[in-house]
Amino acid sequence: MATKIKSRALQEFQEATQCLVNPALQKWKDQGGRVIGCYCSYVPVEVITAAGFVPFRMRGTGSTGTDLADTCVSSINCSFVRHSLDLGLRGEYSFLDGVLWVNSCDHVRRIYDHWKRKIDTSYLRLLALPKKNEQAQIDWYRDEIRFLRESMGPHFGVWISDDRLWDAIKLHNQTRRLQRQLYELKKRKNPPITGAETLAVMVAGTAMPPEYYNGLLKELVDELSQSKDGHADHRARIMLIGGILDDPAYIEVIESQGALVVTDSLCFGTRNMWGEVDEKAGDPFTALAQYYLYDRPQCARIFGDQPRRSAFIKEMIRQFDVDGVIAERLVMCDNWTGEQFMTGEDLKEAGIPYIRLDRDYVNIGAGQLRTRVQAFLEMMGR
Amino acid sequence: MAMDKETRRALMVKGLERYRKERDFFKFLSDTLALMPDEEMQLSKEVTDITVDRYDTIIRCAEEDKPFVAGYFNAAPEVYTAMDLPWYLIMQTPFLAASAPYLMEDVDAAEAMGLGTDWCTACRLSLYYIEAGLSPPPTCMIGLLHPCDAATMLHQAVVRNEKWRGIPMFCTDPPYFEDQRGIDYFANELKKMVAFIEENTGRKLDLDRLREVVKESNKQYELWAEYAQLRRAVPCPQGWGMGGPQCFAVSQIFQVGQPRGTDWFRRLVSITEKKVKEGRGVIPKEKIRYFWFDLLPFGWCFELMPWLEQEWGAVMVMEMFGFTPYTPVDTRNEDTIFKGLAKRNLYESPMVRQARGIADYFASDIARVVKDYKVDCVIWPGHMGHKDGSASTGIMREICNELKVPYLHIGLDLFDRRYTTPEECKDKLSKFFGAMGLG
Repeated sequence: MATKIKSRALQEFQEATQCLVNPALQKWKDQGGRVIGCYCSYVPVEVITAAGFVPFRMRGTGSTGTDLADTCVSSINCSFVRHSLDLGLRGEYSFLDGVLWVNSCDHVRRIYDHWKRKIDTSYLRLLALPKKNEQAQIDWYRDEIRFLRESMGPHFGVWISDDRLWDAIKLHNQTRRLQRQLYELKKRKNPPITGAETLAVMVAGTAMPPEYYNGLLKELVDELSQSKDGHADHRARIMLIGGILDDPAYIEVIESQGALVVTDSLCFGTRNMWGEVDEKAGDPFTALAQYYLYDRPQCARIFGDQPRRSAFIKEMIRQFDVDGVIAERLVMCDNWTGEQFMTGEDLKEAGIPYIRLDRDYVNIGAGQLRTRVQAFLEMMGR
Repeated sequence: MAMDKETRRALMVKGLERYRKERDFFKFLSDTLALMPDEEMQLSKEVTDITVDRYDTIIRCAEEDKPFVAGYFNAAPEVYTAMDLPWYLIMQTPFLAASAPYLMEDVDAAEAMGLGTDWCTACRLSLYYIEAGLSPPPTCMIGLLHPCDAATMLHQAVVRNEKWRGIPMFCTDPPYFEDQRGIDYFANELKKMVAFIEENTGRKLDLDRLREVVKESNKQYELWAEYAQLRRAVPCPQGWGMGGPQCFAVSQIFQVGQPRGTDWFRRLVSITEKKVKEGRGVIPKEKIRYFWFDLLPFGWCFELMPWLEQEWGAVMVMEMFGFTPYTPVDTRNEDTIFKGLAKRNLYESPMVRQARGIADYFASDIARVVKDYKVDCVIWPGHMGHKDGSASTGIMREICNELKVPYLHIGLDLFDRRYTTPEECKDKLSKFFGAMGLG
């Protein structure tokens, strides 16, 4: 299943998911631009953009083994961590000028500990992300973002003024708006773009200079908006939920069985762009903390937020006319084990078909995945 | 919406069935220990006696409709004592009654619920007990968002659980780094916790009473530190059967800031001091001194730990829960008390200390123990739920290399003996000891 239009922009996005340094990022580097790696969607990329750098979402793309990482972590740690750390240890991330973390999960937060001991990157910082999202936590995270600015400034010899931060907020809000416009098109009875292609668009957005990406994305949205073609050959409209998924090939396998992924709750998907940072707030730090920790759909790790997360999924199901939900999880991920369990209970109560799938970061397990999706569609009577 | 009385009564009847069984299990243990005149056995008996007392108190509260809470050792239990509020751990069975005969059936039932197999077994079991109605519903609950992801998810699942939805829960938010900002923030979270308990139980916290409790708990920690120093002796006066887990149970669960607990510590120090003076070790010939850097395999420790002593002359001189990094809490005023409790609960209490924040404690605690306790090897059991610890295994290995002390990572489930069987563990340990020329 692939889109019927020939789009230069889409092709560039798809190519960007298959490597770490895409041509646009390489050009940026060649011109002396700096790039900062981000290990989680909770890192406020606006601060990096305001510093004049490009934020780059960390991945394990291209990794073929975990031999070096396995000397640091163990087999009960998730495969994303092992592959991305392995790339770091092999020097594949030497194009980065710094790396930022939050304490996302028990696995990812340990990459920080190993990175600072073993990999020579001049700027490393972990933002302490709360596990609740009440006012005290939003205030805490506001200060964390402020400290990030204060720390980056002297290190890189740049001053991130409030004005520059507001400009960055506006730029990233524009990205989010364009991405939501793309998703709007997927509400059509016959969406003009597949789930796999959509993921490529979203992943590329975390690996390119934002102005450049926005230009390409606008081009794609315009092309798709004008197109009358769409995918009519699907058996069911699917919502995909889960944690870090940056490989469109995984969704391609799902869609090869006729299960068209029309929306999601993924950290490379809607959770990264649903809603916008308030451009009218009193100060940019409060606006960012409020957006990242409360306004947008939250990650499984935020206590007290599960009813809102569940309501968001149900609202997506309604808006995108979803027939069934597939929940994917990297093996060993505790956060998504718990979340999948709770979501399953909620969707059972709501009578919505639901299946849970475990996966490895690199090996898609296409044969097994096809079988599971086929069985799910059959169970749904599709 | 608050839980109605009828629902609560029905849940309580079922929840107390299992709870009484566990109480009887400990009562049996206590009665058995009573037949053994040895001083250390009598110390163990005192621990099982106070365990039985806690079970009885919770049962009495449940029957008389008096308030009791579900809480944690690392959520300032001094507060519960000061408020005269009995409390229990929803992780009680895996942590305390893990050798109960029904444990394996429970593990399977938890898996059948759809909780998978790679989530921490203690968390899976705890959620299963609530789902199956095997835990008595508390008046309100203090949850936990640290040290691990599984704990965070467990408490979210408990809040969502159909049966326990009406039980109010409060969780303190743990800051990641160790600094004054983190202490101030967490002290404030603890104050919010107190307000929550007051609102939901009708009990009030009296500051003078809290000060008294904290002073008493300071004495317990001081005695514990004295005891821990005695374990440095060669031969080590006690092994796996007496030490950290009991000290932890007394000071952080069953006798927090209470004189009976302090007396227990005095007896422990006195008995141990005598053994050290007499040069008596836990076994006749100590050959290997090891640091077991995790919890004991509660579900099957009798199948492994005695074997280490008998087969290899290997004595556990220290383990994660026995390590004593505690600083006394300054009791001058409310501010100093809460900040002191924040520090104790975030940066000192076992497992939370190592697992909650950055990995540095995994390295520094090993270095401290290896040097202080003349350790021959470090064993990281690698419980399947301790993902952050297993993700720190390279750091632990490197510090051991620097210290020239052999390091072994086993990989097991502390509660489910089928994950890595006791025989497989023995095989790994034997090969390790042999290859390293120990024993």
